[in-house]
Amino acid sequence: MNFPIHPPIGERVRRKETLRFVTGTGRFVDDLLPPGTLHVSFVRSTCAHARIKAIDVEAARAMPGVRAVFTGKDIAQHVKPLRVGGSSVLRPVKLYPLAVDKVRYFGEPLAVVVADNRYLAEDAVDTVAVDYERLPVVVDPETAMEPGAPAVHEDAGSNIVYKYHFATDGIDKVFQDAEVVIKERIRSHRITACPIEPRAYLAHYNKDEDSLTMWSATANPHSLKGRIADVLSFPEGKIRVIAPDVGGSFGLKIQTYQEELLLPYISRELGLPIKWCETRVEHMRNGRHGRDQIHYIEIALKKDGTMLGIKDKIIADMGSTYTVDHSIMAAALYMTGVYQIQNYAVDAFGVSTNKTTHGSLRGIGKADASYVLERLVDIVARELKLDPIDIRLRNFIPADAFPYRNATGALYDSGQYHLAMKRTAEMVGYDRLRKEQTELRKKGVYRGIGVALVMEPTSSSRIHATGGYASCRLRIDPSGAATVFSSMGEQGQGHETTLAQIVASQTGIPFDKITVIHGDTLPTPYGFGTGSSRSSVVLMPSAWVAGKLMRDKLLGIAARQLGVAPEKLEIGDGKVFAKENQEQSVAVMEIIRTAYGAIHLLPENMEPGLEVTGYFINPNINYTPDDKGRMNTFSSYPYAAVIAVVDVDVETGMIKIVKYTTVHDCGNMINPQIVDTQQQGSIMQGIGAALYEELRYDDDGQLLSSTLMDYRLPSAEEVPELALEHIITPNPFTPLGAKGAGETGMLGPPPALCNAVEDALSPLGVKVRETPLTPDRVLDLIEKAQAKSAHA
Amino acid sequence: MPKTISLTVNGKAYSGEVEPRTLLAHFLRDSLRLTGTHLGCVVGRCGACTILWNGTPVKSCMIFAVQAAGDEIVTVEGLAQDKRLHPLQEAFWKNDAVECGYCTPGMLMSAYGLLSKSSKPTEEQIKKAISGNLCRCTGYGNIVAAIKDAAVNFTK
Repeated sequence: MNFPIHPPIGERVRRKETLRFVTGTGRFVDDLLPPGTLHVSFVRSTCAHARIKAIDVEAARAMPGVRAVFTGKDIAQHVKPLRVGGSSVLRPVKLYPLAVDKVRYFGEPLAVVVADNRYLAEDAVDTVAVDYERLPVVVDPETAMEPGAPAVHEDAGSNIVYKYHFATDGIDKVFQDAEVVIKERIRSHRITACPIEPRAYLAHYNKDEDSLTMWSATANPHSLKGRIADVLSFPEGKIRVIAPDVGGSFGLKIQTYQEELLLPYISRELGLPIKWCETRVEHMRNGRHGRDQIHYIEIALKKDGTMLGIKDKIIADMGSTYTVDHSIMAAALYMTGVYQIQNYAVDAFGVSTNKTTHGSLRGIGKADASYVLERLVDIVARELKLDPIDIRLRNFIPADAFPYRNATGALYDSGQYHLAMKRTAEMVGYDRLRKEQTELRKKGVYRGIGVALVMEPTSSSRIHATGGYASCRLRIDPSGAATVFSSMGEQGQGHETTLAQIVASQTGIPFDKITVIHGDTLPTPYGFGTGSSRSSVVLMPSAWVAGKLMRDKLLGIAARQLGVAPEKLEIGDGKVFAKENQEQSVAVMEIIRTAYGAIHLLPENMEPGLEVTGYFINPNINYTPDDKGRMNTFSSYPYAAVIAVVDVDVETGMIKIVKYTTVHDCGNMINPQIVDTQQQGSIMQGIGAALYEELRYDDDGQLLSSTLMDYRLPSAEEVPELALEHIITPNPFTPLGAKGAGETGMLGPPPALCNAVEDALSPLGVKVRETPLTPDRVLDLIEKAQAKSAHA
Repeated sequence: MPKTISLTVNGKAYSGEVEPRTLLAHFLRDSLRLTGTHLGCVVGRCGACTILWNGTPVKSCMIFAVQAAGDEIVTVEGLAQDKRLHPLQEAFWKNDAVECGYCTPGMLMSAYGLLSKSSKPTEEQIKKAISGNLCRCTGYGNIVAAIKDAAVNFTK
C-alpha cells in the first residue's frame, strides 16, 4: 500500500507546545484560581475494611475558615452511583463519591472538608473522628477467591467479580500428546503510573447560568462530562469539561475518580468554585493501581522447542472497587503473544480485595501478558537447553503470515519479528557477548543476557467503554490560519505538533499557522480518552481525513475558478496550480476569501465556509465474539525486540544494566523525534517497574509504599546506555500506516531484565519468579538457591 | 499571626503578608501567582518546585516563605530576558527534552544551578545535578543532552 507521507509528516519538527513549558507559562489545573475559590481536603479511611459506625464532624465545622463538611451519608441520597463497565462483568456494584456504610480500602475518602484555603481544610480534617467497626481484611487475591473469604462487597455474593473463559477445540489432547509440558506460576507485581502532576480538579457551578465548568487533570474529558451528568442528574449540555495542560497520565488519568465526581456536587451545593489538588501520598493510596496478575501458565512443546499450545489461568487483583475489565481481557486474549500457537485455553478471574482500585496503566493487561509469556519462553529455553533467541526464531509468526489471526480471533496487522530479533542480536554482537559472558564468569563476574520480544495490542475498541474511533474538526479562518479541534486531549504526547503536521501536509496551510485545540469538551467533537496508544492509530488518521476533506474543498473551488479538473491540481507555496502548467494558478488566500465572502463563485452544491469534520474508525474490529468466542478488539500491534545486558553484584544484590538494546516497530512515524523521546521514557518506566517500583500492602491492608521515598521512581542516575532503532512495517489498515507508539517501550524491561538476571545467576541456580528485582530480593533469591543446592 | 516579608523574585521586589507556616512554593504560586513553579510531592522528592535561593537550587516546598525574607529568588519565569529564551530553554526545546512539561521548570532551575558553577560538566555531573528532579515522560536522555548542549552558550 502507498502511504501519503508528505512533509512535514515524517519530519522531526520541533514541538509547538514545548515553548510554554520551558517558559513556565503552561497552564495546569493547580495554576487556576478563580475568585472565591474554596479548597477541599479529604478524611480518608485508616482501615482497609470496616463498617462506618459514626463520623463526628462537629469540631471540624467549628474550625476557622471551614465552610462545609460532607460525609458519604450526607450526599448518597443526592447522587447516583457510578456505573461499572466491561463485557466480563459478573456482578456490578455501587460506587459513590464518598464511602457510605463501609470502607473497603486504606485511604478511601469518607468525608470532605471545604475551607478558605488548603491549610485550613487540612487542619479541620485532623479533627474529624471516625468510629469504625473493623472487619476481616482480605489482601491476597487467591485467598479472596476461596469460599468463606471476607466479602469486599456483600451484595455481590462473591469476590470473583469478573470471569472469562476461552478454549480452542481439542486443547487437552494437545497437552496429553505433547513431548514436553512446562508449568509455571508467574506474577506481575502491583505498580502505579505516578505522573509528576498528581490529580487535580476545579469545579465551578455558575448559579446565574445554571451551568457547570469542570477543569480536570483528566485524559478523558468527554467521558467525564457524561459521568458527571449521570451521577448528578444534571443536563450534559450544561456541563463543560476542560483538561488544560495535564502533567502526564500513562493511563492513570483516563478513569473517573470518586473525588472527580464529588467536586461538581459540592460546587453546585455551595455555588462557588471548588478546588482539590491531590497530595502525593493520596496519589499513591488512591490513584489507580496496575498490573498484579497471577498466571498459572503451561505450555506444550516438541522436544526441539516447537510450541504447540498454551493453557493459562489468570487471577487479576482488581482491588476494592473495580470499574473496568481491560486488564483481564487484554491479557486473556493475547497469551500466545508473537508465536504461532493456535491451541489455547484461558480461564481468567477478576478478584475484589481490600486494596486500592485497579485500573489503567501504560500497557494494561498486555504488559502482564508479554511479561509472563516472555519469562515462560526463557524458562522453556533453559529447560530444553536451547538458545533464547533460537527458540523464539523457531516459533515467531513469520512476516508473510500477516495480517495474522491468533487463536482468540485477534487480528495482528503486520510485523517482522524475525527481522527485529536478528537486528537486535546484530546490534549487540550476540555471539561475542555470549563468549565474553563465559570469560567473565571465570573471573567471578555475573553477567547476564536477557532476550524478549514484546508485542502491544493498541487502540482498544470495546463496546460502551473505549469506542473505536476518533474525530477532528478543522477550520480555516478567513485570515488563512487553521484550527484543529481534536477529540482527544494530551498529557505530553505532542498532539499540537503532530496534528498540525498532518493538516499542513494535506492543506498546504503553513505549520506555524495551525493551532490545535484539545481537552475542552465545548469546541471539540466527541471522543474517547488518550489511552491504549490510540492517538497515532485513530486520532491522527481522523485529522488526515479532515485534511483530505478540506483539501478536496480547496481544490474544488480552485477548479471552478481555473477551469481545470481538481485531480489535475496541486497545492504548494500558498497557491493552487495546474500540475501541467504552474502558471495557471490561484492563491490559497483567494480561495479562502471565495469560500467565505464570494459564495456565488463556489461550485454548485458546495457549502460556504471552510469547516469540516473527519472521523476515523478502527478498521478490522470484531466487537462481538463469533460462535467460537473469537473477537478482535485492538486494531494495531506494534512490538519491540530487546536484548538487555546486566551485571549482578552477588554481594550487594545490585543490578547494573550494562546496555539496553531495542528494535521497535510502530509502523510509519508522523514525528520520529516525538516517538524516540516517548520510547525512551517508556523504557525508563519499564526499568522502574522491573527493578525499583512496588506497591506493597501488609496483611492489614495498609499500603507500605505511599511516598516517593519508598516507591522509588528511576532518576537520571539510573539511565543505562540505550541503543534504539526502528524498523518500519506500515500498518496496512490506517491511512498513515502508523501503529500505536507509546506503550511498547514499557513492556520490554520487565521480561528482558528478569531474563537477564536469571541468566546472570544461572550458575547459582537462581530462579526469578518474584519482582521487582530490588537488591534485597536478589540477595534473597541467591540465598534461597544456595539453601536448595545445599540440601540437594 | 501573619508576618510581613520582603524579598526579590526574578529581580523584582515584592512584599506581602504570609502565615509563618506558608511554604515558599505556595507563596510564589498563590500569592505572587508565579505558577511556573510546580508541586508534585510537597515532601522534597520530585523536584518540580526547584527554584534558586540566593543562587542555589532548592526545593521550594521544603522551606517556609518567611525563611526567604530579604533574599533573592529566581524562578523559571526569570530565565528568559527581554522575551528571548535563555540558552537552557532553547536547548531543552531543540533537544526535545520536554513532554508533559510538569517537571520542566524544576529541571531547568537545577540545570541552571549546575551550569552557573561548572561550565563544562561531565555527563555524570549532569545526571547527579538533576537526580533530585523526577521526570516520568522523557527517560532523561534528552534532558541530559540539552544541558550538555546549553553549557556551550550558558550565561548567567
